[in-house]
Amino acid sequence: MITDEVGTFSDTVEEAAPVEACTKCTACNTVCPVARSTEIFRGPKFLGPESERYRSQPEAAVTAGLDLCSGCKLCEVTCPSQVSIQEYIRRAQNKGAAEKGRTLRDWVLGHTRLLSRFGSMTAPLANLGNRNPLVRWAMERVLGIHHKRPLPRYQWLTFERWFTRRPHNKTARRTVAYFYGCWVNYNERRLGEQVVAILERNGIEVIVPKQQCCGIPAVVNANMDLARKYGGENVRRLSGLPADVDIIASSTSCGLMLKHDYAHLLDIPGAEQVGARVYDICEYLWMLHEAGELNLDFQPVSTRLLYHAPCHLKSHGIGYPAMRLLRLIPGVQLEEVDEGCCGISGTFGVKVEKYDLSMKIGSRLFAAVKAAGTDAVLADCETCRMQVEHGAGAHSAHPIDILARAYGHG
Amino acid sequence: MKCDIAVVGSGLAALVATRTLQQAGRNAVLIWPGLSSLYFTYATVDVLGYSDLTTTQPVEQPEAGVAKLIADHPNHPYALAGLDALRSGTTLLIEWLRAAGFTWQGSLARNLLLPTAIGTPKPSCLYPESMAAGDLQRDEPIVFCGFVGYEDFVPELAASNLSRSWGRGDQSVRAIRVSLPGFDTSRLFTSIDLARSFEDKAFRREVASRIRREIAIDSVRVGVPAVLGLTHDTDVYSSFAAEVGHPVFEIPTLPPSVLGLRLFDRLRKHIQESGVEMIWAAPAHEAEVSDGQCRRIYLKSAGREHPIDARAYVLALEDMVDGALRAGVHTVVDPFFHQSLAHHAVPTERTDESLFRPQPFASIGYAVTDRLQPSAGDGHPLARNVFLAGGAIAGYDPVGTKSRGGLAIATGYRAAKEAMAA
Repeated sequence: MITDEVGTFSDTVEEAAPVEACTKCTACNTVCPVARSTEIFRGPKFLGPESERYRSQPEAAVTAGLDLCSGCKLCEVTCPSQVSIQEYIRRAQNKGAAEKGRTLRDWVLGHTRLLSRFGSMTAPLANLGNRNPLVRWAMERVLGIHHKRPLPRYQWLTFERWFTRRPHNKTARRTVAYFYGCWVNYNERRLGEQVVAILERNGIEVIVPKQQCCGIPAVVNANMDLARKYGGENVRRLSGLPADVDIIASSTSCGLMLKHDYAHLLDIPGAEQVGARVYDICEYLWMLHEAGELNLDFQPVSTRLLYHAPCHLKSHGIGYPAMRLLRLIPGVQLEEVDEGCCGISGTFGVKVEKYDLSMKIGSRLFAAVKAAGTDAVLADCETCRMQVEHGAGAHSAHPIDILARAYGHG
Repeated sequence: MKCDIAVVGSGLAALVATRTLQQAGRNAVLIWPGLSSLYFTYATVDVLGYSDLTTTQPVEQPEAGVAKLIADHPNHPYALAGLDALRSGTTLLIEWLRAAGFTWQGSLARNLLLPTAIGTPKPSCLYPESMAAGDLQRDEPIVFCGFVGYEDFVPELAASNLSRSWGRGDQSVRAIRVSLPGFDTSRLFTSIDLARSFEDKAFRREVASRIRREIAIDSVRVGVPAVLGLTHDTDVYSSFAAEVGHPVFEIPTLPPSVLGLRLFDRLRKHIQESGVEMIWAAPAHEAEVSDGQCRRIYLKSAGREHPIDARAYVLALEDMVDGALRAGVHTVVDPFFHQSLAHHAVPTERTDESLFRPQPFASIGYAVTDRLQPSAGDGHPLARNVFLAGGAIAGYDPVGTKSRGGLAIATGYRAAKEAMAA
């Protein structure tokens, strides 16, 4: 007998759409930046929900080309039925790698934190090496890292050490925990310093709990067990924070892992509760502003800027708080460039066989950036910034950098 | 997040409402549930094709047809939105299309009869320049041209159907197929892949010359599936038509509709780059109402529910797909106010077995007041500052009467005006 199942049925469709929720509308294929740029990629619809229907069969479907999915999640952003397209692709890719083994390169890129730690410890040397043509030639041959891809500069003093050495500011009305991520720790400490300065300027105490890589490099390099291990460590530590302490992330993709993927893709126990407390830094500052608590004592910053919204920011489903914030600053002229994915997608565009594709995906954005000729391109995501600098030869910064200048912390 | 007016939806009604607010200098935020319904619909603007669900006689003058419909049916959504909203909204849309670089044609005064992919005539009054030459009120013979390996457009089917209904003589309709360079039948491809290829000049030129070789006679027009460019369509169309040497018209194909995609992508980009904030990937639900005012709705954002506090809300959603309605086995409820919108003791009452007869589910939706506020059906608003637009309004079948576009415009415009005054 058929019973009335309005509540359960509709909630199933919306909260965690099963593969059957895919109506095969092909909307995902139309927005996929990889499918747009190469005909050998069969698109998210085929590699995600369509193949998924066969993956649970005894004779599991073998799908080639899963590694061409860059993980931008635009398919999920645009799916009218909220199907977790990219998650199906990631799980299948992970299963394939677990069965067949993964390349040394993908193992290394999945362990970005280890790599960065090493880079940071040997900073001057590592940076020299990363710019040496001979070293880069060897890296391409041995590791499959494209010789043209500029690698980030490492810094010897990590954010973590900088933070523990500084005098602690405790006169605050509220406390937040900062999830700084590997990028701020090993490559751009200055951004972390700015985040701390801005929060303290607004009367907020910043604490920095011990943390691990968010795990996204491991997820996209088909090492879900490693991601789950990292995620589990983070969830354990962040769960122990007092209930009134919000968690702030300044990296778009780290934030998305904490908010969503730990619970949904990696099934980490306790992740939902942690995710509900995580805020993107600009999202958080905007909330302060709406509560009338943001210090608006800005110095004018006379500059023309372009804003590129990272794909993963769209997945946050919070709009573009960075643009709203920066428009509060006198002198800032800010426009949005809406040319889609920049193409790098974390470690995707670093790989020797994907570099050209990544540059082709980003070509529309590069052209628009060059044509606009602004002082800088802003993006909340660090690899978007790397890609825009490389592809368009433009200066790039996190929106927080402009806010810090307005507060006199430039 | 706080804002002046929140528009929920991504179809034509939501876009028209947002543009109306933007032009009036209001601070609107556009909240997407997922990709626009424009991707799945025909992407001409149909104001009124048939005056009711039973007639086969198309409406010739849509504006006059709507005026009559309003006089005859004072509770129809067109009557609630008003003829002025249709007129002003259409003017606003036409100006916007021009500003965003489109070359659309037509007006509310006259319907064209444009051939569909199965060779039936469809009344539409606003359409891209690239479809205009298909008008079946003109007499030139038609050659339907398909592409080898592309199964979403079967030229023989279109030709055989049209030759039976059109009545311009035996030789008036033909079908041909040409092969496409680089697309062999072993490759799986869609209209989107073709549209991207047509943006390449050499590809276009080669296809045009193959079509020219197939058509030895003069004074015909050529109907091709709508794949002439994905984003740079204006240039693609005009140069391709010139190279074919005959008038060319595009015919919309199965979803995803290239025509709808062009329309949505460029309007979205235009409105976004001119300063309207969009919140992607955030299905909206749960209206919090107190003292007759909606104080807040919630978005299903990553990690948690994201509250939106607006002075007024335009709910411009369409149907089950974009989250306007939630259908259980027997009951359809609305996700904002949790009303039961329809109940069917036997689930099959909701559908008709024939795909081509009116479908009962098509007219399920929100009852509204004469200001387009959602109501419990008693004429009193559930919230004074919420306004409905588009397909989710109850009591009409936008597909059956070919009025989806016009109603989206009229209700989108009117809802935006009401939201500003709320």
